[in-house]
Amino acid sequence: MAAPLLTNCSLSGSAIRVASKNFTESFVIAEIYAQALEAAGMRVERLFNLGSTQIAMAAMRRGNIDLYPEYTGTALIDVLHLPPIADSRAAYATVSRLFKERYDLIWLTPAPMNDSQALATTQSIAASKQLTTLSDVARAAPALRFATIQEFLARPDGLPGLQHFYGGFRFAEIRTYDIALKYRALLEGRADIASAFSTDGEIATDSLVVLRDDRHFWSAYNVAPVVRAAALDRWPEIPRVLDPVSRRITDRAAQTMNASVEKDQTDPADVAAEFLKR
Amino acid sequence: MNYLSSHPWRVAALALGHVELVAAALAVALLFAVPLGIYAARRPRVAPWILGTLGAIYTIPSLALLAVLVEAFGLGFLPIFVALVVYAQFMLARSVAAGIAGIDRAQLDAARGAGMSPGQVLLRVEFPQALPVLIGGVRVAAIAMIAIATLGGYVGGVGLGVLIFNGLTLHQPAMIVAGSIAASLLAIAVDAALRLVERSATPSPTGAR
Amino acid sequence: MNPSSVRFENATARYPGSDRNAIDGISLKLRGAELVVLLGPSGCGKSTLLRTVNRLVPLDCGRVLVDETDVTQRNPVELRRSIGYVIQAVGLFANMTVAQNVGVVPSLLGWDARAISERVDELLNLVGLDPATYRHRRPSALSGGEAQRVGVARAIAARPRALLMDEPFGAVDVVVRTALQRELVRIVSELKTTTLFVTHDVDEAFRLADRIVVMRAGRVEQVAEPFELFEQPASAYVRELVHAGDDVYRQYFVRSRELLRS
Repeated sequence: MAAPLLTNCSLSGSAIRVASKNFTESFVIAEIYAQALEAAGMRVERLFNLGSTQIAMAAMRRGNIDLYPEYTGTALIDVLHLPPIADSRAAYATVSRLFKERYDLIWLTPAPMNDSQALATTQSIAASKQLTTLSDVARAAPALRFATIQEFLARPDGLPGLQHFYGGFRFAEIRTYDIALKYRALLEGRADIASAFSTDGEIATDSLVVLRDDRHFWSAYNVAPVVRAAALDRWPEIPRVLDPVSRRITDRAAQTMNASVEKDQTDPADVAAEFLKR
Repeated sequence: MNYLSSHPWRVAALALGHVELVAAALAVALLFAVPLGIYAARRPRVAPWILGTLGAIYTIPSLALLAVLVEAFGLGFLPIFVALVVYAQFMLARSVAAGIAGIDRAQLDAARGAGMSPGQVLLRVEFPQALPVLIGGVRVAAIAMIAIATLGGYVGGVGLGVLIFNGLTLHQPAMIVAGSIAASLLAIAVDAALRLVERSATPSPTGAR
Repeated sequence: MNPSSVRFENATARYPGSDRNAIDGISLKLRGAELVVLLGPSGCGKSTLLRTVNRLVPLDCGRVLVDETDVTQRNPVELRRSIGYVIQAVGLFANMTVAQNVGVVPSLLGWDARAISERVDELLNLVGLDPATYRHRRPSALSGGEAQRVGVARAIAARPRALLMDEPFGAVDVVVRTALQRELVRIVSELKTTTLFVTHDVDEAFRLADRIVVMRAGRVEQVAEPFELFEQPASAYVRELVHAGDDVYRQYFVRSRELLRS
């Protein structure tokens, strides 16, 4: 809820300011954090829809916001400018330490969900072509048609990176689509493999299969609440409130919630409320 | 497409925040604009410079000004509030100046001759007659500000703009529509309300109200 | 009531940006309770001279004395509240009713509401307007003649001992003007104010004045009682102005003055 003027005193700092970035999953998770904190009796001011990681980090460091959900992979690559780390624990340990040292920002308990890049296919194609891992796909690529978005072909941890790291991945056909239409190509039989994020809603709703990154190319992207140290001092109960909630956010849960917002057009606030009730 | 009917309280809460934002900004804007307008009315040679400058500021794209203000003030209520105060200056100062300049010179001569101090001339003669024009200016400014205030949803969660920008990010057209309709309805309601105020501030010739 | 004395000593004033004096070294003394008319064409300085009395125009040289006190020694706001001021355009305050307009100076002086109200009724009657009908009217609902009656009432509300009138009946139509002139003569003699009246209308000057000050180009041509201007015009200009050589005019003026003052 937009905080009315009388309680909108970020000057007096009596409400904790929770932010999100500008995509669905960030909204949902931030809303989960916000509602959990409100249920614990805190006043929350929402500053959602921030334009980028840079904006969110700048706001955190200036003390404009107190808490927001961030991904270990994003923190590593886009904030700390370090190479990706595939192992979830190692990635978390690194970002956690460096954020505390450099920015006095604290990472709380991460969620099991790992919103990393992925390749996905239908259950029938996975069965008939015997694809379970990325290595399988790398080898079988010349017989496969690939559906993706433009960005994936350009980014270093996209197709070029896969080809370099795994070898192979020379697809018979590559077609780029709008991000909203990409999965349709797969479902309508016009492609065999699609690039994805492992928590995309479609994975749950369309019963897709995510192929395992067996050689650990991609970075871990676990989400956790990142908090300003000053805010933790002010409200020491935050970890107690958010840790149990974070632990329940699995890949499956995330997929379901994302689908609910994007496909069913449900308000993220309602989706978050639903999640917290369970 | 019926977010309004499925989430009436959320929309109402955001609408209330929107109204508070615009009302607060208007009040503070008047604190600056009224003296500015009076000054411009008193100095006809300087007036074009003052109003011209304010007009030029008004043409600055709102998003650009907002970006600068976010740099200065951070996210949230303050940058959009300041932006609104700045934008409102032009319309408000201009209507104050027009209202005061439009007063018959003979009345001012008679007022001085009757022994009113400059402050009394302002309070007893000029301001009451400039008031309907000023209220008209407030009305126009309020409507413009209701629109500009939707940018509050872009920089930190205030007002009906939240629905619009969230709807864009989440690909939920129903939210966008709800936010836009609510903002329009708000503008219409404010316009109607201020027209009533304007009318009651304009006295009728026979003294009946 | 004790009328004010008004005296000009070498009064000189020039408007900024002008190359000549609007009034140039004028010395003049008004006797108490007399109605003095400043007569001349536009630009002769008559309005300027008038407005030096209540300090709406500052003097560059010389002095104006009201009750033997230099007006620059007095607080201008306080001075103006003690002197009535009526202008051609009337200048009734559009945001106030007739009653509020008339009561303006008493209100500025802090009279209590009842005193103001009584005085307003008294004055409206004096200027020939029925209080019940006119109290609550707004200036925009008044005719030219009604408006100027209110203007006069407003000017004399606080019982000033001096009255300044700048072509007050110039914008009123001729029929009404005569009635207003007659009433003014009556009012001024009843109230015993010292009155300075500006006009370019010779006819009006003759009807109203105890003495006439003929002005030209910032200077005084002649100061005299009306008929003296006929009998002994001081210059060719004055003679022309008042048609001193014309018997018809003489008879006309004699007659109209008699009628007005009966």
